[in-house]
Amino acid sequence: MEFDKNSLLKLGKLSKIKIDDDKLSSLSKDLGSILNFIDRLQSLDTEEVDPTSNSLDQPLVMRDDIAIDKNSANEILENAPEKELDFFSVPKVIE
Amino acid sequence: MKIDLNLLDARDLLAKKEISSHELTKTYLDNIKKGEELNCYNTVATEHALAEAEKSDLRRKEGNHKSPFDGIPIGIKDLFCTNNIRTTASSRILSNFVPTYESTVTQNCIDAGLINLGKLNCDEFAMGSTNKTSYFGSVINPWQSSQSDAKLVPGGSSGGSAAAVAADLCVASLGTDTGGSIRQPASLTGTVGLKPTYGRVSRWGIVAFASSLDQAGPITKTVEDAAVLLEIISGHDEKDSTSSIKDKENFFQNLNNSVKGIKIGIPKEFESDDLPVSTQKAWDECKQLLQSNGAEIVDISLPHTMDALPTYYIIAPAEASSNLARYDGVKYGIREEGKNLIEMYEETRSIGFGDEVKRRILIGTYVLSSGYYDAYYIKAQKVRSLIKKDFNEAFQNVDAILTPSTPSTAFAIENEPDDPVQTYLNDIFTVPVNLAGIPAISIPFANDENNLPIGLQIITNSFEEQKLLNIAKNIQDTINYSHKPNKWWTND
Repeated sequence: MEFDKNSLLKLGKLSKIKIDDDKLSSLSKDLGSILNFIDRLQSLDTEEVDPTSNSLDQPLVMRDDIAIDKNSANEILENAPEKELDFFSVPKVIE
Repeated sequence: MKIDLNLLDARDLLAKKEISSHELTKTYLDNIKKGEELNCYNTVATEHALAEAEKSDLRRKEGNHKSPFDGIPIGIKDLFCTNNIRTTASSRILSNFVPTYESTVTQNCIDAGLINLGKLNCDEFAMGSTNKTSYFGSVINPWQSSQSDAKLVPGGSSGGSAAAVAADLCVASLGTDTGGSIRQPASLTGTVGLKPTYGRVSRWGIVAFASSLDQAGPITKTVEDAAVLLEIISGHDEKDSTSSIKDKENFFQNLNNSVKGIKIGIPKEFESDDLPVSTQKAWDECKQLLQSNGAEIVDISLPHTMDALPTYYIIAPAEASSNLARYDGVKYGIREEGKNLIEMYEETRSIGFGDEVKRRILIGTYVLSSGYYDAYYIKAQKVRSLIKKDFNEAFQNVDAILTPSTPSTAFAIENEPDDPVQTYLNDIFTVPVNLAGIPAISIPFANDENNLPIGLQIITNSFEEQKLLNIAKNIQDTINYSHKPNKWWTND
């Protein structure tokens, strides 16, 4: 089973991953194989079953909202590919 | 100096002042250099490690050592953020990332005085079972088949962590396990790998893959070391709201190797004609051994075992596609320019991620997208409930479950199949445990006909790591597994 190539290009757009033409064929084959594999679950009857999103049986823990002086803008910006003043810099968004 | 120490050996040598932390750290750094061919480390923190070792020696001299393990050098999977030490998740997209903070787990290690030798290679973003998806290349398993000198996979994703322990490139190491990423490489390298209960160990500061499944744990030479390291890294962390509020336990002090009266379940769904004869033999011998030591062997059923892997390959990619949305070329990591913002994102992520990571992001996006969400994602979460229920019912009748850790021993790097699904099958015995959130350990039991290690897996109910470690110790103490790789990469 191959994954439809147009759907794959759409998925690439949704995922913000450019899919090169020369990768399209092998990727649609791989994704087809994976989908075929995960489709096995469809035969299971889960009508009466509740979903599990997390296995920890514990109420959400709250903590006090205390200000800490860590990870300053300067520190964080050290890893930014591009910055201006105290800000991350990106290509122009509005013409 | 030739050295192959475990944590307890190193502790004793340091206490008796037979070696200094500086000497010990230097020796392991030399071993790392000699073992460069194994490609275990993405980053070796030479200066950092030697400076910390000197500080440790000073603390010990003044009687202020932080713990009995102060000054012992360990390796850290390159998925834990380490302050001022590059952290890449073995991905090109993070290949220049230097965190300005320390993960809770590695901070806990620092608080015990452990020395970070460097960052261990792994599959990219911990996605893989062979360590081949790393941007920095494959890790080579220190073990070689007696039949061939082909380079073997160490397993993954914590392949560097497991290989480094087996090759004496660190005394012990930290890994993470989302679907088997500690236990599977431990099994393929003759080491001990423990995945704790979900929530036992804080995930804060660990590069996220699948947040409802990820858990950090130790890879060590012995069960005692696993107990020591688990004790050091575990405990509630207010920075991780999914970390357990249970009190820290003294796993090492409370180790006890008796299995008298313990009931061990053998799940029939793990039995298969495809299992190698030597693995089946090891599993059978272990059952007999536990029985002779006073345990009772009980046949059990985990009916949804075969549904675990497809369930995992919906849930893990779904969570990954969401977690990896943050890598966009803006805040950290590399950037590839484009004509506008959207193109910049697409170009950056296209060159920054490897093939397996892209596959999983695409699948994850697909199963979460409108029209497929219920059919895939919710469906998988429901099957996850069934898998968890299987274990809950089993643990009404047994204390622990014994299975093989992996469907095969280490295989040649060039023999990885083209179809990704075939590679996914490596985790068939380990994945159900992550979905249920319960703890499990892989311990080396024997070597196969090619002299490659066979690991067995023990599973217990949530927060029963002590029982897990005790049973593992019973097996370890009875068999005295003493095989070691022949260190073909060095003249030592």
